[in-house]
Amino acid sequence: MQLNVNGVSRAVSSPPLTSLLEVLREELAVLSPKHGCEQGGCGACTVLVDGEPRRSCLLPLAAVGDARITTVEGLGAPGDLAPVQSAFHDRYAAQCGYCTSGMLLAAHALIERKGGPVDRDEVLDALSGHVCRCTGYVKIVEAVMAASRGQVGAEPIEQPLAPEPSQPEIEIAGSPA
Amino acid sequence: MKAVGARLPRYDGVAHVTARSVYVDDVRVPGTLVAKALRSPHHHAAIKRIDTARAKRLSGVRGVVTHEDVPNNVYGHLEALGIPADEPLLAENDVRYRGQPIAAVAAEDSDTALEALDAIEIEYEERPALFDMRNALDPDAPRMHHWGGVYPHFGPHNHRRVRKGDVEWAFDQADVIVEGVYRPQAIEHCPLETQIALVVPEAGGRLTIYSCTQAMYFSLGVVAAHLEVPLNRLKFVGGTVGGGFGGKVDTASETIAALLALKSRRPVKWRWTREEEFLASSTRAPWHIEIADAVTSDGWVLGRRTVTLHDSGAYARFSPYGVTKHAFHHTGAYTIPNLRFDGFVVFTNRVPTTAMRGFGVTSVSMAVELHMTRIAEVLGISPWELRLKNANRIGDTTANRVAMQDPSTVPVTLAAAERVGEKLGPEYAAMTADRRSGDLLPEHLVAQQAPEGAHVLGNGGGS
Repeated sequence: MQLNVNGVSRAVSSPPLTSLLEVLREELAVLSPKHGCEQGGCGACTVLVDGEPRRSCLLPLAAVGDARITTVEGLGAPGDLAPVQSAFHDRYAAQCGYCTSGMLLAAHALIERKGGPVDRDEVLDALSGHVCRCTGYVKIVEAVMAASRGQVGAEPIEQPLAPEPSQPEIEIAGSPA
Repeated sequence: MKAVGARLPRYDGVAHVTARSVYVDDVRVPGTLVAKALRSPHHHAAIKRIDTARAKRLSGVRGVVTHEDVPNNVYGHLEALGIPADEPLLAENDVRYRGQPIAAVAAEDSDTALEALDAIEIEYEERPALFDMRNALDPDAPRMHHWGGVYPHFGPHNHRRVRKGDVEWAFDQADVIVEGVYRPQAIEHCPLETQIALVVPEAGGRLTIYSCTQAMYFSLGVVAAHLEVPLNRLKFVGGTVGGGFGGKVDTASETIAALLALKSRRPVKWRWTREEEFLASSTRAPWHIEIADAVTSDGWVLGRRTVTLHDSGAYARFSPYGVTKHAFHHTGAYTIPNLRFDGFVVFTNRVPTTAMRGFGVTSVSMAVELHMTRIAEVLGISPWELRLKNANRIGDTTANRVAMQDPSTVPVTLAAAERVGEKLGPEYAAMTADRRSGDLLPEHLVAQQAPEGAHVLGNGGGS
């Protein structure tokens, strides 16, 4: 069958129940989605399917059909970063980088859907199924809010967007997969 | 010092946000085999028989290894420091924790590798298991480690000791004795990238080892020691780690993958599943910390007795080092002149424990800070002022007799008080880290002070 990945139609021959994660990584060498838990719990394998974030580890190839698949490779490249990639870089939102692909795609989908500035609660909701063990999430949330406001590039951070200590921590609202 | 205060871009930032960073799992080598491990289903058992014949005959299986295939099976992570080895790479006569690897296979694909594991026959004789380190020294505790209940190689002692000053005097002088028990629990590091290695046999006989290790030279030494090959036969590629937090210092995957690569003469990748990570990767240790402090009613801590149990799990690994660090930090940010510390590395039938973000120190810091607050409650005095009074000062000496040059307790405590709006008495608000004098240098703190400019005191009367 053909798979539409980042705007390019690619021929694939994996069995139909192979996970999209395996097809992308092993057959097509599209390496931005990562093996984190392979049971839908961590978000590291997230890709966009027709613009919506989905867990590629739980999605069988047969269920993808002719939907458009977007991975980080389709978001932007060095020298031509998407706003959300720039904001993650400017604001140190990627630490070890392993969860970053999933975070970027979920954030990108949120910003596209909203079409304007997103608030903190919306970011927490959109990223609630994404686990990061390095950052404590503060810089990630800041970066997504900044990206939605077009605050990207080398400009200094004037207003910290971190929550007040009295505000609650992230509440897990369930997996968007 | 152009970098201080400047906003510097991360050197790997663009690679991370464009997913160009190459983690071990992203390295593609044609013909790579999939590795899987057979792990103990029991917490503690004798191994009576291992039969891999049927697994080896399966189509698609390219290598099966057990302890018989390891040139030097038993290794110790701290052998270079003279600490003897106790842990087999692949279990031989017994298994001491659930998830301990016994055999490993390399196959053309994952399904075949799992089928091969099913085809390996192992006969166990289950034994009683020990899970609570507090019971390790009971006379009827299950015997599970050949060294006994505790790690026995701290010089002439079977535990890490600190002896400083005159602790008997301190407890004789005390107005109050404040006791507490603190029990920080095991924590799984849970990096997003599970343990993983890719080992590629090269034409000249070398092995290229792509590793997620946090400790490249440790891993190089561990693999070379198990395989009994010179270091120049091994080329390590690493540095891009998908989270570690201390959980990737134990060389969890490289050696077995290398053994399978040698056996099969093919590239071998071993990526642990999340289930394996939770079951069998090392954790932060559980601790059991008992503190008794000799305290005066006006808030001086004259002396401290500490007994610490550190749950090492089934093997020693780095635990003796962790307990040693724990010992050095057992007075925390405070100066206590009279000390008696006894720290034991206890063996249990749990997964071996290891470093995690402040190995051995975070546990004792938690205990010390809770205990300081407890002392303040017992005495009915301000916990801030108690801390500032006993705070480390320039020229004070640590538990292991290092003279402090630039202790931060006073400025950090004052800054914290300001941030939360805590009003301190004027003599506390004006405090600095300078050498003790006047009211802050009572008789009991004179002898512990180092002379001006000294770095380390002598070891007189010490451990």
